[in-house]
Amino acid sequence: MLQFIIRRTVGAFVTLFLIGAATFFLFVAAPSDYASLACGKDCSPQRLADIREALGLNLPLAQQFWDFMSGIVTGRDYPTGHCSAPCLGVSFYSGDMVWSTIMDRFPLTLTLTAGGAIVFLVVGVGAGMIAAYRRGTLVDKVATGASMVLSSFQIYFLGPVVLTILVYGTGLMEDPKYVPVTEDPVGWFVGMSIPVCVMATIFTAQYTRMARSSMIEQLAEDHVRTARAKGMSRKYVFLRYAWRGSLIPIVTVLGIDVSSMLGGAVVTELTFSLQGIGRLAVDGAVNKDLPLTMGVMLFGAFFILLINILTDVTYAWIDPRIRLS
Amino acid sequence: MMSHRARGARAVVIAIAAGSLALTGCSKNEGGKSGKDSKKDQKEAAVQSKAVTYVDAAGSTGPAKEVPGAKPGGTITVYQEAGLSHLDPGQIYVSDAGQVANLLFRRLTQFQEDDKGNVSVAGDLATDSGKSSDGGKTWTFTLKDGVKDENGNAITSSDVRHSVERLYAKFIFDGPTYLQSWLSGSDYRKALPGGGFDGKHLPASVLDTPDDKTVVFHFDQPRPDLPQTLAMAGYAVVPAKGDTKEKYEKKPVATGPYKIAQNKAGKLLKLVKNTNWDPKTDSVRHQYVDGFTIQFGVTESTQTKRLIADKGENKNAIQLTNGVEATQIQDVINNPEASKRTVKGYQPYVMQLTFNLDRVKDLKVRQAVTYAVNSKSLIAGEGGAYGGDVAPNYFAPTLPGYEPAYDPYGRLKTPQGNIAKAKEILKSVPAAEKKLVFAYANSEAGQKRKVAIEDALTKVGFDIVAKEVDAASYYEQIGKLKNPYDIYISGWGQDWPSPGTVVTPIYDGSQVFDGSSNYSHVKDPKVDALTKKALTQEPAEAAKTWKEAQHYLLENVIPAAPLWYTKQFQISGSNVGGARYGSVSSLIDINRLFLKS
Repeated sequence: MLQFIIRRTVGAFVTLFLIGAATFFLFVAAPSDYASLACGKDCSPQRLADIREALGLNLPLAQQFWDFMSGIVTGRDYPTGHCSAPCLGVSFYSGDMVWSTIMDRFPLTLTLTAGGAIVFLVVGVGAGMIAAYRRGTLVDKVATGASMVLSSFQIYFLGPVVLTILVYGTGLMEDPKYVPVTEDPVGWFVGMSIPVCVMATIFTAQYTRMARSSMIEQLAEDHVRTARAKGMSRKYVFLRYAWRGSLIPIVTVLGIDVSSMLGGAVVTELTFSLQGIGRLAVDGAVNKDLPLTMGVMLFGAFFILLINILTDVTYAWIDPRIRLS
Repeated sequence: MMSHRARGARAVVIAIAAGSLALTGCSKNEGGKSGKDSKKDQKEAAVQSKAVTYVDAAGSTGPAKEVPGAKPGGTITVYQEAGLSHLDPGQIYVSDAGQVANLLFRRLTQFQEDDKGNVSVAGDLATDSGKSSDGGKTWTFTLKDGVKDENGNAITSSDVRHSVERLYAKFIFDGPTYLQSWLSGSDYRKALPGGGFDGKHLPASVLDTPDDKTVVFHFDQPRPDLPQTLAMAGYAVVPAKGDTKEKYEKKPVATGPYKIAQNKAGKLLKLVKNTNWDPKTDSVRHQYVDGFTIQFGVTESTQTKRLIADKGENKNAIQLTNGVEATQIQDVINNPEASKRTVKGYQPYVMQLTFNLDRVKDLKVRQAVTYAVNSKSLIAGEGGAYGGDVAPNYFAPTLPGYEPAYDPYGRLKTPQGNIAKAKEILKSVPAAEKKLVFAYANSEAGQKRKVAIEDALTKVGFDIVAKEVDAASYYEQIGKLKNPYDIYISGWGQDWPSPGTVVTPIYDGSQVFDGSSNYSHVKDPKVDALTKKALTQEPAEAAKTWKEAQHYLLENVIPAAPLWYTKQFQISGSNVGGARYGSVSSLIDINRLFLKS
C-alpha cells in the first residue's frame, strides 16, 4: 500500500509539472496576452513594452516558466512583496498573490462540493438503492421517473427557476451568498442552501440511476444468489454483500465529480453569482491572466490527482480482491 | 486660451459648441415606452445643448449643494460583474474604477453638474479651475486650505508634484498619459525614469511648486483642455508620505469622503467614511451614507433580477457601471414601479463600422457600405431604444460639437439602410472589390452584430466573408496594422467633453501604428492639419475646426460608417435616494446618493 501511494504521488507531481507546462505554453501560444489587453486606449508600442516589462512578459518564455514553477517550491519576490511557497505567482489583473486568492475562494467551493456531495450521496444513492431493492414497484417507478426528469435539467435552467420562485418572487429566501461558517454558521447554511441543493439535484438524479442499475447488477451476481440460496434474508444479503459491491462504479464517478467540483463548479458559481474557484478560472481565461489561470489549473489538477489516488485506495477497501500493487 | 483674470463671472463659458455634454438626453426615467423615451432623449439632447464652463473660487467652495430629501446613515450595496483592475489612481483609466475613485480620491479639478444638467469644471484640491497665462502654455493652481488625506496629513503642492512625477515610473502603465506627454513629450518616461522616488524631480521649467500652495505647469504649446484633463481620476492626488509604489494598489490613501476599510480584489470592496474629509472644501461630493459595500462577481442578469425584485438589502443597492441586462429591459419598462427607479442617458460611445483603408481603397465601396448598413437591426440587438440610438455622424450626443441633424447619408430617415442608393453606387464597382472580409467578436453581442451587418451588405450585392475573432482580444486584433480584415465594428468615447479626445486618437495620421486606436489607418493631411489647429485653439474656435474635420472625414474620406450611439440604462433599489444620471460619467451619479430610511 505504502509503495503504491509513494509511486502514485511521484507520478502525480510529474503529471502536475506536465499540466503546468501544457497550460503555460498553450496560453502563451494564444494570439493575445494580458499586456495587449491592458494596454487599452492609445496603445503605443512604448506603452505596450512598458506593460510587458512591468509584468515580466519581456523575459524569455523558458525563464518565465521556470520562475513560475520554481516559485511553487521556493517562493518568489515581487515588488509588491514576498510570495511564500507554494507561490502561484501574482495576478496580472488584480496584483494579488494567486495562492491567497485561491485560498480566499476555496471555502466557498469546498462548501458547494461537500454540501452537494452529502446531498447527492445520501439522497441519490439512497433512492437508487431503494429503487433497486423494490424493483418494479411504485417506489422504483417514481424514483426512476423523477431521476429521468431531473437529470435532463441543467443548473443554468433550474437555478434561475428556483431563484425566481424562492427569492425574487415570494421572498422566502435571501439571495445566495457565502459567509464563512466560522463567522455565521446560520448565514453560511442559509446563504449556500439554494446553490448546494440545486447543484445536488442534478447530480442526485444521476446517482439515483447509477446506484439503481449498479445494485440491480449486484443482485444478479452469483455470490448474491448463493447467499440467498444458503437461506440468508434478502435484506441481509442486500446490506452485507450487494451494497458494498455496487459502490465501485459510484466511487469511480464520485471521484471524478468531486475532483472536478473542487477545481471549480463554474456553471453553479456563475448562475448564483458566487465567487469560488470556478469563477476565478473564468476570470483568468477572460482576462488572459496567466498566473491566475496557471494557479487555478494546477490547483484543480492537484485535486484530480489526489482524489484519483484516494479512489484507488478506496477500491481496495471496498473489494479486497483488488490489489493495489 | 482665456486667462483667469478675464473671467470675472462665476462661471465662464469655454466651449460654445453646438451640442453638449450636460445635455445628452440624460434624465431620471419616469417610465414610459421605449419609442417615446428615445424621441425624448433625442429632443433633450438637442434642447439641452449647453457649453461646459470653468468655475472660479466661489463656485469651487464647499459644501456641495444639499440633495433634496437627503438623510444620513446606512450602507449602500453596489453590484458589479467584474472586479476592478486598479485602485492606484495613476493606473485608473476606465469607468468602473473611475466611479469608485469619485468617492475616494480628489484631483486638482473636478466636474460638477447642477440640477439642470449644466456641467462645469471646478477646483477640487485647487481653489478654482486654474489660471492660464502665456497664451495658455502656463497653468497655475492654488491649493485650498484644510484639505487632508485620510491620515490627517495636509495636502501640499509637494504631494501634487509627487502625484505627477510618479506617473513617469514604469510601474504606472495603465492610466492616462495626456499630462505626462504634454509636459515631457511622448517618450516622457526618459525625462524622469525614477518617477521622483529617487529624489530627482522635473525641472521647474516644466512643473514648479514655488510654495506649499502653488502648482505651476509649463507646456510647449497652449493646452486649453488642461482643467478637464486634470479632472480625470488618473490624475488624483497620491500623498507622497503614503506612497508605497507597487503596493499602493492594495491600500491607496483616500482624500475623498470615503476610504477603504476592506479590499478583497475581485470579490469585495468596503468603503467607510473618511473622517478627515472636510465638506467645506468640496463643492461636489457628499457623505450621506456611512459606507458602500461593493460586491463583485454579480452578473448583470442577476443584478437586474435582484433590483427588479427589490427585496431585502437590494432595496439599498445600485449598479456601478453595469446596466439593466438587455433581455430584461422590457421587464423593467413594463413594471411601472421598477421603471421609476431607473436612470438613463447616452453613453459617450459611437459604434461604427470601420474600414481598413489599407484594404478598402475604393471610396465608392465605402460610400455604398455606409448607405447600406442597418442601424435599426443593430440597435434591436443592443436592447432596442434603451440600448442605443441611430448615429448619423461621428460625434456622440455627449460631445460638445454634437450635431443631431448632421446626417449626410440619411441615416435618420432610413435607419434600416438605403438599399437603392447603395446598389446604385455599386453599379460601377468591380466584382472583386465587392468581396469584404468582416471581423466580428465571438461574443453574444458580436454574433448579433455579425448577422445584421452580413444581412444588410449581402442585400446590396456585397460578398461578405465573416471571420470570428476572440472577443477578449478583439480590439487588439483589429488594432494590428497588418490585420487581415476589411471591415470591423469599433466604438470610441471621449475622455473628457472635447472632440479632441475623439478625433485625435482615432483619425489623426500620427496615430497609425500597431495597437493604435486609429483602426481605419486614416492618414489624411487635411484631417491632421485641422486636428493640430484645433488642439491649440480656444474652445469656441476649436469647435468650428472640429466640425470642419468631422464633415470632411464623413463626406470625403469615410474611414467608418456611423452605426449607433450607445445608451446607459441602470436601476437602483427603492430605498436609494438622489439617484440621477451623471452627465460626465454617463452613469448613476454616485456622489449624491443617500438612503431614504
